[in-house]
Amino acid sequence: MKRILCRRGFIGLGAALFFVFVVIQPAYAYLDPGSGSLIVQGIIAGIATIGVVAKIYWHRLLKLLNLNKKDEE
Amino acid sequence: MIRNANEIKNCKISTASFRDPSGFVFYRDGILYRQINDCYCDQYKFFMDSGLYGVLVDQGMLIPHEEVDGPAYDDRGAWRIIRPEAVSFVSYPYEWCFSQLKDAALLTLDIQLIAIEYGMCLKDASAYNVQFHRGRPVMIDTLSFETYTEGEPWVAYRQFCQHFLAPLALMSKKDVRLNKLLLAYVEGIPLDLTSMLLPRTTWCKAGLFMHLHIHAKSQKKYSAGMPIKNEKAKKARYISKLGYTGIVQSLRNTVKKLEWQPGGTEWGEYYKDTNYSESAFEKKQAIVRQLLEQIHPGTVWDVGGNTGVFSRISSDMGIPTVSYDIDPSAVEINYRKARQQQENYLLPLCLDLTNPTPGLGWNSDERDSFLHRGPVDCIMALALIHHLSISNNVPFEKSAAFFYNLCQYLIIEFVPKTDSQVRRLLASRVDIFQDYDRFTFETVFSRFFTIINVKAIQHSERTLYLMQKHGK
Repeated sequence: MKRILCRRGFIGLGAALFFVFVVIQPAYAYLDPGSGSLIVQGIIAGIATIGVVAKIYWHRLLKLLNLNKKDEE
Repeated sequence: MIRNANEIKNCKISTASFRDPSGFVFYRDGILYRQINDCYCDQYKFFMDSGLYGVLVDQGMLIPHEEVDGPAYDDRGAWRIIRPEAVSFVSYPYEWCFSQLKDAALLTLDIQLIAIEYGMCLKDASAYNVQFHRGRPVMIDTLSFETYTEGEPWVAYRQFCQHFLAPLALMSKKDVRLNKLLLAYVEGIPLDLTSMLLPRTTWCKAGLFMHLHIHAKSQKKYSAGMPIKNEKAKKARYISKLGYTGIVQSLRNTVKKLEWQPGGTEWGEYYKDTNYSESAFEKKQAIVRQLLEQIHPGTVWDVGGNTGVFSRISSDMGIPTVSYDIDPSAVEINYRKARQQQENYLLPLCLDLTNPTPGLGWNSDERDSFLHRGPVDCIMALALIHHLSISNNVPFEKSAAFFYNLCQYLIIEFVPKTDSQVRRLLASRVDIFQDYDRFTFETVFSRFFTIINVKAIQHSERTLYLMQKHGK
């Protein structure tokens, strides 16, 4: 049963991806994003990603410490 | 064959909607429609079926529309016609106060964040896509959405920075009047100019440093004709979804932190009219209400509306009212109050009546001039005529002709030379205004209007007139 559901999930995901990337034709991107703006986006996106990942690990660390405390109690 | 736009099916294409090939706006029998072209068909279906449209409309962030039958403006490429809910008055970012522009910026970013959750994103982030509708900012361009593809950058990032972040930063950190640069640059304030004008302290603000200063440097380095040679730079084009959302969140935090206080004081205490006794002020309010009730106008413009005390008499009667003032502080106070009290019928805007907003953009009609957005049923010009005549040397003849072209009814206050405000205006200059008196005022205005009611404001030397335009 679980395998059937899993298979259905994959079929659904495949259909969604097909719809998004194959059926939907790209609209005309009528704005010029600008080369300089693209570079800046890349840098900010990198910083933002590092920030989010660092945050996740920081929270995990805090959680781990809290768990350790609880275990000690 | 190219058909004449004005002759087809009683239609007229909007002069503001031609850049995006996805569709355009046109008017038929005075009603606004939007034509969706074949190339946008799949995107529109996804936008509607994904639930994004419903969520944005439910939250009052997007103008609702209905799909209608009927002929397209142009059959070539036409796929569907929609009728968006009408916005009562179109205004532009160079007429907005600081908080209006900030609210419009936050709306754009919030829509972008919601759109990402639904697998879509904004393909443009123009300040002209936002209008104030029933007291709050709302996105009016239904065709601004496209499916999000992971790895792709936000194509409208530069536009957002130029249309929103640059003017907001300049207004907040340098001078609130710098939003008028948007009049000179309809595609948004150039970032190199913004970076140069901003104080050095803004280099220490992470958001402004990245999105404006470094952005400007990067634009200069990779300007047109300088291809990105570096392989690392090419790789920087791939942006993960996490990074993409991070950019929008970072912009949101940066905009959110920008503040401006009108007159450097608490807005609630800033603008007090000290020229009237309390009793005369109340009498004037009562007369204005009485005159409005006499004519029941469908729309009102209050020119020189200050913080909107008299505009609210009109808007509280359910009349869509635009309250103009030249002072950005007064407009800011007016807007904050309207927002706080959730006033649906009042729109405060910045306007210099002696130099009203011109037509701008392509062919000088992509953005309407102030005059082109008229006429209205009624104009209120209270405590204004002495500023026009004495401060700006505008003769009665010119003032009367100006109002004649803009309204059916005119509620105007005459302020005599003996009034303390006029005495103050004349204190530092030679009185060359021998004809500035009530008799001349009435004589000149009577050439354009029929005076249908005259009310003296008790406990003051001022007089209120209700006039009706000749020939109607």
